[in-house]
Amino acid sequence: MDALQTAEPTTLAQQLSTYLADLWNAPVAIEELARIPGGASRQTYRFDAVSGGVRRGLILRRDPVDSLIDTDRRIEYLAYQSFHPLGVPTPEPLVLDEDGGALERPFFMMSRVDGGKAASPFTVSPYAPNEAEIGRQFFTILGQIAAADPLTLPIAAAAEAPALDRAWARELEHWERELDKDELHPNPIGRAAIRRLRRHPPPPAQKLSVVHGDYRSGNFLHDGEGRILAILDWEMAHLGDPLEDLAWAIDPLWSHFDDTRVSGLVPRAEAIALWEAASGLVADPAALAWWELFNSFKGLVIWISAAKSFRDGGGVDPVLGFTGLYCTRRHDQILAQRLEALLESAP
Amino acid sequence: MTPTASELLIGNFMTLIEPPPPESAGEFMAGKIAVTGMISLLLAQEMEKGVSVRAAENRALRALFVEAAEGGWAPALTDGLKSLARGEDQDLTLSALDRANAALRTALIALQTAVEEASGAAGPSAAGRAREKRIARLLRESADARRLDLPPLPAR
Repeated sequence: MDALQTAEPTTLAQQLSTYLADLWNAPVAIEELARIPGGASRQTYRFDAVSGGVRRGLILRRDPVDSLIDTDRRIEYLAYQSFHPLGVPTPEPLVLDEDGGALERPFFMMSRVDGGKAASPFTVSPYAPNEAEIGRQFFTILGQIAAADPLTLPIAAAAEAPALDRAWARELEHWERELDKDELHPNPIGRAAIRRLRRHPPPPAQKLSVVHGDYRSGNFLHDGEGRILAILDWEMAHLGDPLEDLAWAIDPLWSHFDDTRVSGLVPRAEAIALWEAASGLVADPAALAWWELFNSFKGLVIWISAAKSFRDGGGVDPVLGFTGLYCTRRHDQILAQRLEALLESAP
Repeated sequence: MTPTASELLIGNFMTLIEPPPPESAGEFMAGKIAVTGMISLLLAQEMEKGVSVRAAENRALRALFVEAAEGGWAPALTDGLKSLARGEDQDLTLSALDRANAALRTALIALQTAVEEASGAAGPSAAGRAREKRIARLLRESADARRLDLPPLPAR
């Protein structure tokens, strides 16, 4: 056998050990390395880094070869840097490497939050019996994020700040471009939504906020006893209208098949009241309705993009296949119902 | 429609046949296997109703085009609607029905856009509003028919 045949490939654990040893200037052993589900636009791993007798639980978020959505890892990292010091429950960000050579692709690492679980959005009653308490925290935290001044936060270094009267247009144009790029089968419902949203724009944003971009059931850890431990998956964070996040959080897709509670947590009116109290903002019904329609469209485009990524990637990521099939059809239905109701209620 | 049932079933096979690297063999692989199971549940419904749902949607679109072609649109749109309205699904494979559906949906987008643009500053005419509502109802009914359902999965 020659050297090429006998050489062991460098494992991810070895790569991590080498990288952290350079970073910390000390030998580092990697233990308990395991890939875990965690967002669809990054590969997520948990591991222990042991150095000098100290064990640290860490999370690695690495760019994938294929992704459900193309997102900016720097903005995601800066979002954690922005809100961790403010007391919003998030993991502590540790290091960002945009070159990524050490681990083959760009990545960042953050502290691990142990003892929590994230609900699948497609299960029934995942928060019972603590729905009300988790709901109170969930919408209060979202209000706190909305209330923060984004221009004073680290995320402002990388995220573009739209004018208040352009926040909606920028988002709509972005997701329309994504649809143009990834639509494999004509989608008249999505196209009708674009035209409707453009013909009936919302009022200007009442303030500029950090928008998490995917704030919903399933993207936070809770301890099973009524306490939220960490808000995760900031990969679509941007600056914009704070109503965008509220409308996404109450989209019917995330209701856990419970029509009486948004995000499977609390009634809609209570969620909005909690958000208003924590943010000091007002959820104008007409503006919120625009963002609800927009978010159902945005969701539809995300799933259409997932379907394209599934095909382009050779079909080996079943999450992309599942969302491309099931979620596309659910958001098609949600969006079609909304559009029909708007026409039926028109004078 | 994408992803197709064939693509998804082949994807399930690829997911299960390829050994994962050691760090992906535990919780992550268990999660992937669970998702392949959910895909199988959805495809069982798609296999049962996929042909009838697609054939019905195509028929509904052609019926709409028969009436809408007389709306006084630009010649290209009118000719396109008339041509498509005369069509018929003879090949009842999912892929053939999807190809026909893609052409019909493209024309529907053009028609719906034209209907909306025909509304002047005073809003749509009664006939225009009725046509808008008919299209919206057709889209909602099609989306309802294509919906796939998950069983009530318990949280873990």
